[in-house]
Amino acid sequence: MRGYVKKFPPCRGACPAHVNVQAYVCLIQMGKFREAVEVIRRDLPFPAICGRVCFSPCEDACSRINIDQSVAIRSLKRLVADIEREQGRVAVKPVPKKYDEKVAIIGAGPAGLAAAYELAKLGYPVTVFERMPELGGMMRYCIPDYRLEKFVVKNEIDYILGLGVEVKTGVEFGKDITVDSLKRDGYKAIFIAIGAQLSAKLNIPGEDLEGVIHAVDFLRSLALGKRLNIGETVAVIGGGNTAIDAARTAKRLGAKRVMILYRRSREEMPAHPWEVEMAEKDGVKFYFLVAPKRIIGEGGRVRAVECLRMRLSEPDETGRRRPIPIPFTEHQYEVDMVIPAIGQVVEISCLPPEIIGKNGLIEADPVTLETKIPGVFAGGDAVTGPASIIEAVGAGKRAALSIHRYLRGEAIEEERIEETTWVKDWSLLEKKERRYESPVEKPHLSFEEVRAYLERVQRAARFEAFRCLGCGPCAECLAGVDLCVKDKAIVDESKCVGCNLCVEICPFGAIVKNESGVAQVNEEICKGCGTCAARCPKEAITLENISTDKILSALSNALVVRVV
Amino acid sequence: MEAGLRIICFICDWAFPEWSIETPPNVSVIQVKCIGRLDPIIILEAFARGVDGVIVVGCKWPDCHFIDGSLYGERTIRLLKKIMALTGLETERLRLEMVSPIENRSLSSIVEKFIDDIKDFGPLFKGKEADKELLFNLQAAEQAVTWSRLRMLSGRERKLTEKVNVYGERISQEEYDRLIEEALEEEYIRSKIYLITKGKPASVEEISRRIGVDSFLVLQHIVTLRRKGLLGVDRIEGYTPLYKALEVG
Ligand SMILES: Cc1cc2nc3c(=O)[nH]c(=O)nc-3n(C[C@H](O)[C@H](O)[C@H](O)COP(=O)(O)OP(=O)(O)OC[C@H]3O[C@@H](n4cnc5c(N)ncnc54)[C@H](O)[C@@H]3O)c2cc1C
Repeated sequence: MRGYVKKFPPCRGACPAHVNVQAYVCLIQMGKFREAVEVIRRDLPFPAICGRVCFSPCEDACSRINIDQSVAIRSLKRLVADIEREQGRVAVKPVPKKYDEKVAIIGAGPAGLAAAYELAKLGYPVTVFERMPELGGMMRYCIPDYRLEKFVVKNEIDYILGLGVEVKTGVEFGKDITVDSLKRDGYKAIFIAIGAQLSAKLNIPGEDLEGVIHAVDFLRSLALGKRLNIGETVAVIGGGNTAIDAARTAKRLGAKRVMILYRRSREEMPAHPWEVEMAEKDGVKFYFLVAPKRIIGEGGRVRAVECLRMRLSEPDETGRRRPIPIPFTEHQYEVDMVIPAIGQVVEISCLPPEIIGKNGLIEADPVTLETKIPGVFAGGDAVTGPASIIEAVGAGKRAALSIHRYLRGEAIEEERIEETTWVKDWSLLEKKERRYESPVEKPHLSFEEVRAYLERVQRAARFEAFRCLGCGPCAECLAGVDLCVKDKAIVDESKCVGCNLCVEICPFGAIVKNESGVAQVNEEICKGCGTCAARCPKEAITLENISTDKILSALSNALVVRVV
Repeated sequence: MEAGLRIICFICDWAFPEWSIETPPNVSVIQVKCIGRLDPIIILEAFARGVDGVIVVGCKWPDCHFIDGSLYGERTIRLLKKIMALTGLETERLRLEMVSPIENRSLSSIVEKFIDDIKDFGPLFKGKEADKELLFNLQAAEQAVTWSRLRMLSGRERKLTEKVNVYGERISQEEYDRLIEEALEEEYIRSKIYLITKGKPASVEEISRRIGVDSFLVLQHIVTLRRKGLLGVDRIEGYTPLYKALEVG
């Protein structure tokens, strides 16, 4: 069986790392913030990072979006992670090594780190090889500080290392080490997660002039502490989130005018609308339907970009509208710095040729992440092209599972969670706009402000969490937390007459009738609300823990106490 | 506080953050998973045990933790009010308050308002002869809500009134109310007959006198109860059959 259906609420299903959203939101409702972080960490080692910069597919899937706005899941995650950091995390203990097979991980981005995290938890000796001095990949070197502070990244990576993961920095795959050398050194499995670190080229004249620097290189140089000459007028080329980050960074570093040139229109921008909005707030100007034709220099330095106007074609088969240059519409923007941000590509030169696919990415099975070389797995941006942190984490987790099965000699592809189930169809309701600013998030706060702020927002956070509809089945969040009496409906088959009432009213569709017409409760889905038990015409349904008799005896107790 | 009226407050586990569950001393709070969990018998039993007022606090749609559990709870309260009217109980002694956990309302003010509104009714049992009648009525009501007819009909209320059936029709709320009221009246009388004959065998005439219902009607109900296997002839005295309730199950 390849892929099986697991009943997840939509938020958890939409998350590539399947973080148990409903569970931690539920814990936040009850004010159990620390437990909430622990629940997040079961699936994701980066609560604070993702709480800041995740694109949060969970919020897009949130059922509440059909009623008003989705629950501010990402902000809640950030909040509990920040509270934990404020209060001090419980020290991590190394996980005892249960297995001997050494695993090598190439690249310390979110994909590589998530795989290391999972494998370390399973008890494997893991070594992460990274060519940069610091770990974190794009999270450390490209996402700007004002969105994701470096100490946050370090703090969460420290947690992973605390589990007993070995790290070797300054080691370059393809040069210092290869698949063969690693195998010789006794590594039994390899996970390649080198990301998509190279900037895509514009391939127009003038691209090598002084003053032209590609976005990822620009951001990385800054993160490495290099001093760069920031121009007065900066043109950023591209419409993705990277373009926005580069533009806002340039603005923060003192550029007087920053413009983003994009060849399609606003609607087609791959950048998220809230990112665009923030950039506009920072004073970045957008020019749409323009594409650079050449960069004009003077004395070896950038002086202007020459652009052509574009128009959009009718949507093609894929529904995308291609930009078409309009002849004779050349015009120039006077600038002294150009930052192309038109995408990143995988640095394939360091890779064994047999795993390189046709499209310049690593070729790997989309589910198991196996490559053509046995024992070598690959995932993250290097396989998908530039994507997101949470997708990279999802890939890391899948790879870890595959590696574990490979090393244990088990079938690698069995029983993968692929599909998820909507518990209830809310989509009939009118869909409302997604909210981008959350009531609990305040993006720019100094370190000192945070503590006071957290105090204030704790209650706000709990109310925000209460907006969760809990539309999924029992999330089993409370195992070991002792908060919720887990309950299940039980059908007395000898009493059931098969009237179908419970099947009709169960809010979660947890009850079906079997072949002999008797109601059957699916224990995985039942949340024990008791709506069926309160109505069963034959009183054939009771609850495992809190039966009607129990409520009645609570009533008696209440009355006895009153008399005394 | 008004001569310490005894109040029971059923609240949903999810309706309030813990800091706002505070109530006056004469109020006992019983938490349930969802107000949809409240079997009508629980509330009738509270009154039968001499509780003077019951307030149920659940979550407004869409904030119910169990999607529409609270909407079912709402219907149960509506049913209970109709039953209470039959038993001669002031329907105001039962109140439903729907809150949203997001609203951050204080439970104590909701409860205090309720107590204030019912204080003029005084205690439910006044220590008089009428108490016995009321208790009997309540017991009959409890019996009625355990039988499948009312449970079936009220369990289907939302489906019948909110959804369109395969023929593209929907029952209006008024039609449904008529249906349920009719069923309620019949089941209530049948429950009384059942309870009386449970104590000791009785004739149609005796029953008719005891519950103040026309003897022809009593006979009709007896026929139905016999058909359902709930009632049997105990013996015949002279020409008069005496009926006795049968244990079921
Ligand atoms: C400017 C920018 C902003 C972004 N903002 C967001 C955001 O807000 N939210 C979000 O979810 N995602 C964002 N992303 C995308 C996200 O950062 C990436 O999708 C994610 O980091 C990919 O993870 P990865 O582990 O696959 O690769 P990477 O993070 O790229 O990590 C790859 C690692 O491998 C190392 N490596 C590469 N080659 C070698 C080699 N030969 N030998 C040894 N080590 C090597 C690299 O140094 C790096 O540490 C952003 C990306 C950019 C560029």
